[in-house]
Amino acid sequence: MSNMGIIDLDGLEVRFGNRTVLNGLTGTLQGQAIGLLGPNGAGKSTLINTLLGFHEPSKGRAHVFGLDTHRDRARIRGSVGYMPENDSFIGNMSGVRFVRYMAELAGLPAKEALERTHEALFYVGLGEVRYRKVNSYSLGMKQLIKLAQALVHGPRLLILDEPTNGLDPMARQRMIQLIQEIRKEGSIRMLISSHLLRDIDETCDEVLILKDGRIAALCNIEEERRSNRSFMELETVGATERFSVSIRGLGCECACFPGGRIKLVIPDHIEARDLYSIASAQGVQIRRMNQRRDSLEDIFLRAMENDLENNQERTPRGSL
Amino acid sequence: MAVYKHNYRAYEGTLTPLWTRILVLVRYALAEAWASKITIGLLTFCLLPCLVSLVGIYLANNPIARALVGGQNTRFLTIDAVFFLKFLQSQCWLALVLASWIAPRIVSFDLADNALPILLSHPITRFGYVLGKFLALFATLSVVTWIPALLLFAYQSYSSPTPWAAANMRIAAGMFAGAVIWIAFLSLLGLALSSWVKWRVVATGIIFAAILVPAGVGGIVTGVLRTRWGFLLNIPFMMTSLWQRLVGAPEPIRAFYSLPSGAIVAMLVLACLVFVVMLNARIRAREVVRG
Repeated sequence: MSNMGIIDLDGLEVRFGNRTVLNGLTGTLQGQAIGLLGPNGAGKSTLINTLLGFHEPSKGRAHVFGLDTHRDRARIRGSVGYMPENDSFIGNMSGVRFVRYMAELAGLPAKEALERTHEALFYVGLGEVRYRKVNSYSLGMKQLIKLAQALVHGPRLLILDEPTNGLDPMARQRMIQLIQEIRKEGSIRMLISSHLLRDIDETCDEVLILKDGRIAALCNIEEERRSNRSFMELETVGATERFSVSIRGLGCECACFPGGRIKLVIPDHIEARDLYSIASAQGVQIRRMNQRRDSLEDIFLRAMENDLENNQERTPRGSL
Repeated sequence: MAVYKHNYRAYEGTLTPLWTRILVLVRYALAEAWASKITIGLLTFCLLPCLVSLVGIYLANNPIARALVGGQNTRFLTIDAVFFLKFLQSQCWLALVLASWIAPRIVSFDLADNALPILLSHPITRFGYVLGKFLALFATLSVVTWIPALLLFAYQSYSSPTPWAAANMRIAAGMFAGAVIWIAFLSLLGLALSSWVKWRVVATGIIFAAILVPAGVGGIVTGVLRTRWGFLLNIPFMMTSLWQRLVGAPEPIRAFYSLPSGAIVAMLVLACLVFVVMLNARIRAREVVRG
């Protein structure tokens, strides 16, 4: 139990008829904010629905906080706040009434539910419009009220399915900011599904990439970045050749190009200031330094390429 | 998370027991149903026969009133199984009107804006959801059916100069059973049909149609094939027969056309099973799987 993550997948398989939507997912997710990435049809929403107990696994198991997603679904739902991707609300109710209803269904006594409803609506920025009917809200407000109802009962895990879907840049920024604040507060773990790499990049510390119902990558975003932070491009003026020999002496791999351009891979113990020191000592000017970090996009593309290669290896070639 | 602070705080208070979540659904469904002035108007209309029957019972038990209205032998002022049967029938058909208005209100709003994924992501099962809505509708229909029927029975028992209640207890039991069977059937019918139709007005029409159209088809089957089994599609006919037998009122229909009670009950159970299947197919949290 001590090694249990927030979400544990143990050979999870979900089938709809003959179609296998999730195929043998195995892994432990334990980040504060977990991103769920994948192209359309990868199985992101199915995984979320399975974690909420809406789908029964056809093989394997999934656990949320150590609870079986099928057997203990009522307990899981009690500790989860869910914000679906599509419109999902009772349009005929006022914002306050709708969120209070959801809070009471989650188990809050009526008085506390009302109190927290007002707080949640102010928190997400709907305080001024809380007495308006939900179907009169704009798209951004509807996204926010879904977030408010997911937060109102103080869940341990917040599941957000495409939280920035259809939002204009301002509303998107507000949503991302809210997610970052919730993450910073620390008492809620988050699972954020999105096909927008930027959203995941800005909010998550761990990412699960799905492709065709399989795990294409499961990694800690920060660690992944750190392991790939050593690429550097320099544009120099002066004795470039001598400078490159010196930095090779520090243990860097280095290649020189016309126009004073140098590309290098620097070991972990070398910092940018070491290069500046050498350049200063040799009278070389560093006009531009581009330290390239792996973006989430690189991680995502690499995962997709790896998956493609694996698939090609699995498929017998040339057989008729 | 406080209004003035605008920051998040976790909830650390107590939670209500799981079973009480169904009562939350009942409470909100009732509030939704009674938020409409039309519901209030319909309820008032549905209770008018109660007032008329109340006056009838008063007159029947008041010698001066009886003499004034038309003498001792008038059938008009006899309080017996037939009197209560007529009352039960009128209330049960008015309950159909009320159900056809309320059922779409308490289900369609949830479905129109796809609220089920959010509702069912809370610790409430699909069965619990349907049960909550069912109880709300059942409670509302009870107000116009068996509750006033039993109150009238109690008033007649109180008003009668001779001991009356003990000898006529079957009427009370029959009215209660007959009304409960009917409103349970109506509640399931209303929920099942409302769950398949997003537009409330259409759902109201379909609830009426579901009762009246098969009755017409049943009448044609009976007339053409000269068989009584066509009446198995005729809900008003079946229910009238059932109520007559339950309260112990004489059946005016010829024996040839009379349906066995077992067949009536089997048909009602079959219809209810169809409604449950319809609800099971429709009340689901799943969204379209897009990936």
